[in-house]
Amino acid sequence: MMEKKENGKMARKKIPLSGWAAGAVLALFLIVPLFIHNPYLLHIFVLVFLFAYLGTAWSLVGMAGQLSLGHAALIGIGGYVSTLMFMEWGVTPWLGMIVGGILCGIIGVIIGYPTFRLRGPYFALTTIAFAEILRIYVENTEEGPLGIPLRGGMGLLVPLKGDAPGVFQFSTKEPYYYIALLMMLAAIGLSFFINRWRMGYYLAAIRSDQDAAEALAINSTKYKLIAMAISCVLTALGGTFYAQYFRYINPERAMGLSMSIEIALVGVVGGWQTVLGPTIGSILLSPSGELVRAYLGGTYAGLHLCLYGLLLMVVILFLPNGINGPLIRALKRLEAKMWGPKMIEKVTAPETAKEDKP
Amino acid sequence: MSILEVKKLNKSFGGLVAIHDFDMSVEKGEIVGLIGPNGAGKTTLFNMVACFYSPDSGRVIFQGKNLAGMKPYHVCALGIARTFQVTKPFVNNTVLENVMVGAFSRTAHSHEARKKALEILEFLEFQEHKDVLGNELTPADHKRLELARALATQPRLLLLDETMAGLNPSEKPHLLELLRRVRDQGITLLVVEHDMKAVMTLCERIVMLHRGEKLVEGTPQRVANDQQAIAAYLGEEYATT
Amino acid sequence: MDFELLASSFLMGLMLGGLYAAVAVGLSLIFGIIRVINFAHGAFLMVAMYASFWLWYFFGIDPYISTIPVAVVFFYFGYNVQKWLIRPIFIREKALVIEPLGVLLLTAGLDLVLSNLALLFFKSDPRAVVSPAASATIDLGFVDLNVPRLVVFLLSFVIAGALYWLLNYTEKGIAIRSVGQNREAAALCGVNVYRIYNFTFGIGTAALALAGGAMVPFFYVNPSMGLSLAIKSFIVVVLGGLGSVPGALIGGLILGVVESVTAQFVMSTSSVIFSFLLFIVVLFIRPKGIMGVLET
Repeated sequence: MMEKKENGKMARKKIPLSGWAAGAVLALFLIVPLFIHNPYLLHIFVLVFLFAYLGTAWSLVGMAGQLSLGHAALIGIGGYVSTLMFMEWGVTPWLGMIVGGILCGIIGVIIGYPTFRLRGPYFALTTIAFAEILRIYVENTEEGPLGIPLRGGMGLLVPLKGDAPGVFQFSTKEPYYYIALLMMLAAIGLSFFINRWRMGYYLAAIRSDQDAAEALAINSTKYKLIAMAISCVLTALGGTFYAQYFRYINPERAMGLSMSIEIALVGVVGGWQTVLGPTIGSILLSPSGELVRAYLGGTYAGLHLCLYGLLLMVVILFLPNGINGPLIRALKRLEAKMWGPKMIEKVTAPETAKEDKP
Repeated sequence: MSILEVKKLNKSFGGLVAIHDFDMSVEKGEIVGLIGPNGAGKTTLFNMVACFYSPDSGRVIFQGKNLAGMKPYHVCALGIARTFQVTKPFVNNTVLENVMVGAFSRTAHSHEARKKALEILEFLEFQEHKDVLGNELTPADHKRLELARALATQPRLLLLDETMAGLNPSEKPHLLELLRRVRDQGITLLVVEHDMKAVMTLCERIVMLHRGEKLVEGTPQRVANDQQAIAAYLGEEYATT
Repeated sequence: MDFELLASSFLMGLMLGGLYAAVAVGLSLIFGIIRVINFAHGAFLMVAMYASFWLWYFFGIDPYISTIPVAVVFFYFGYNVQKWLIRPIFIREKALVIEPLGVLLLTAGLDLVLSNLALLFFKSDPRAVVSPAASATIDLGFVDLNVPRLVVFLLSFVIAGALYWLLNYTEKGIAIRSVGQNREAAALCGVNVYRIYNFTFGIGTAALALAGGAMVPFFYVNPSMGLSLAIKSFIVVVLGGLGSVPGALIGGLILGVVESVTAQFVMSTSSVIFSFLLFIVVLFIRPKGIMGVLET
């Protein structure tokens, strides 16, 4: 975000400590599969990357001030399109991914256009409504339009092809790991550049005060729609990854409200107004959620969700802007001897010199 | 050709007639003041020139172009910028970032926008505040920020909505001086004001509204001496010296 | 189309609508006045119903009787949820520019906690009160009306009437309405806004508990019933108009009828789609709802 000077804008002076920290974490991620071979641990990393990716994509619409709770629908559409194209016509999911992405971009714009004038909670409720309509429709439809077999609540099983990179399937976790990591980095990169470019400034302005923004030549609808389109395309691509990784996709899990909430949660906990926020949110939430589900989900059904809910409540109550804000501020405080707080303090001190002007 | 022409403008809100058969023209480089008692319709008129409202009938013509049906962002791109009576800073962003948003209307490149924003801040003697967040400013600085942002869009016509409101007497002369400097850059100013002293010293021509209609128009001297105007609004002690 | 079938489904729809109305009327107050989305609305209902159920199961207390003390308890429950959980977010929101999802996510978390605690303790088997009254019916010739459902239908009018009286004929009610319209102005007139919020949330939750108690005789309680009823309640509230108690009643009835009648033509699980579509249409065409008094 603009108020967070990351390793880019002020790079002429020196790279701030937060930049070094991020770089170190990245390097760590790159070499992890060389040391860790336990598929379950790698699975957790994949989840972290996947939800960081989805959270970052989600936050792009959030930057425009509209927080959606229906993004799971896009995962569903993306996953279903690529899987169906593969199952029915043998089209490789790599291509199906693009088709799904474009389709979702268009859908996002069509739905966004009338929906954007709804304020906060109404927008959220509407996104829930759209997503639920889709989910219920797919869940109850064996055969869709044009005879496409949607298989209702049963979901789609991706035909197993073993190790087949050409059709986006691998028999080990490592390739998925790197693909997910790459996607996450791409999303973060995109978010970063959007923030630095005009678009980021415009989205922040629209979010802050739409009337003031329009008085400054900003076509708010246009920019909101662009942000929405990008967000939808990215999320749909994530849907294809989801389908290819789990090799199974069904309406309840992929298009359900809980998926939408998980994505929003990652963004809100980490801080959706920042570039790295959702990633940090995912790093915190995905492993704990998965571990609780694995170890406690069996004996005490629902305990992991209960704890998730508790965590959600605690975060909302005690961490207003997500975790990212305080974290970045803490890192900055470490290095801020000359810069940062001192400078701002000096600047906001009363300007006594001004009054002397005639 | 006048830079702004308003012809037979009408606007009602439900049963309330806000503006009635209003004509006005503004020449390039003028500083025109728009005054009138509360409820006279100044802000409504303002909002119609800036295209935040559309008139029921009549035309607003800017540099020969009819603004009918345009949105505020079109109008800004054409060269009309406005400030808001109740300032609307982007509170989570710094002063510099706020002004850059304005500058981005003329360029898509961040470094150009930043350069332009810094220039504007220097012009308004505001540059030391560039890293202050929008919600940490004093009211006077809020006004300067509004002005800076509007100027960053490189307008030909600047609409100022009660810029003096909320400032204490020591802050006003400085702002007036800045406004004169803005005009000297070739920008036409249309100013809505309640502060009579400011209006008399700043404006070359004054248009007075009363109950949605033009009551009197002319030099500050003339308007100040007009019996109707005085009856409606002015106090005698505010004539120009 | 078979007239008898249509008429009976219409009547069933009204009964269903009465249920929706009874559940949603409290939310109309909460959403309308406090403007928060309480995702846990359905979970609260579920907990209230379990309370009534267990009181019947262990102590043999008739749900129609136990519903009153349960409602009182839930008044305090709702009051404190608002006071301790939601108010801090309001106070924080004043400092920030926007935090639209704050309360929504908080209550979503609360819903997760409550539903899953219920799942843990009560297991997922649905429960229902077994009593002779539960299956009593009134024979109308072409259709049999189930008495407990009829009771809920009538109860929805009673609850709506009571809330309407509260809002329009008591001093407290005027304070509540004023806060809903303009909370700063209300505060300036000496209204303790936060206490009104607490009270409103409490009343809304109590109304909900009342409806829940009456539903226990025929509705199978299970831990996961909350969310879908919560969403339906929001549809009802938007349909009927924010802050309008009669609107919630009408909205609920309409929703019930729409669902019931469309279920004759499509699979019953799909008929929910029409509810959502109705919701979207109303939001776009007439966001104020049928009887909306407050601005959206």
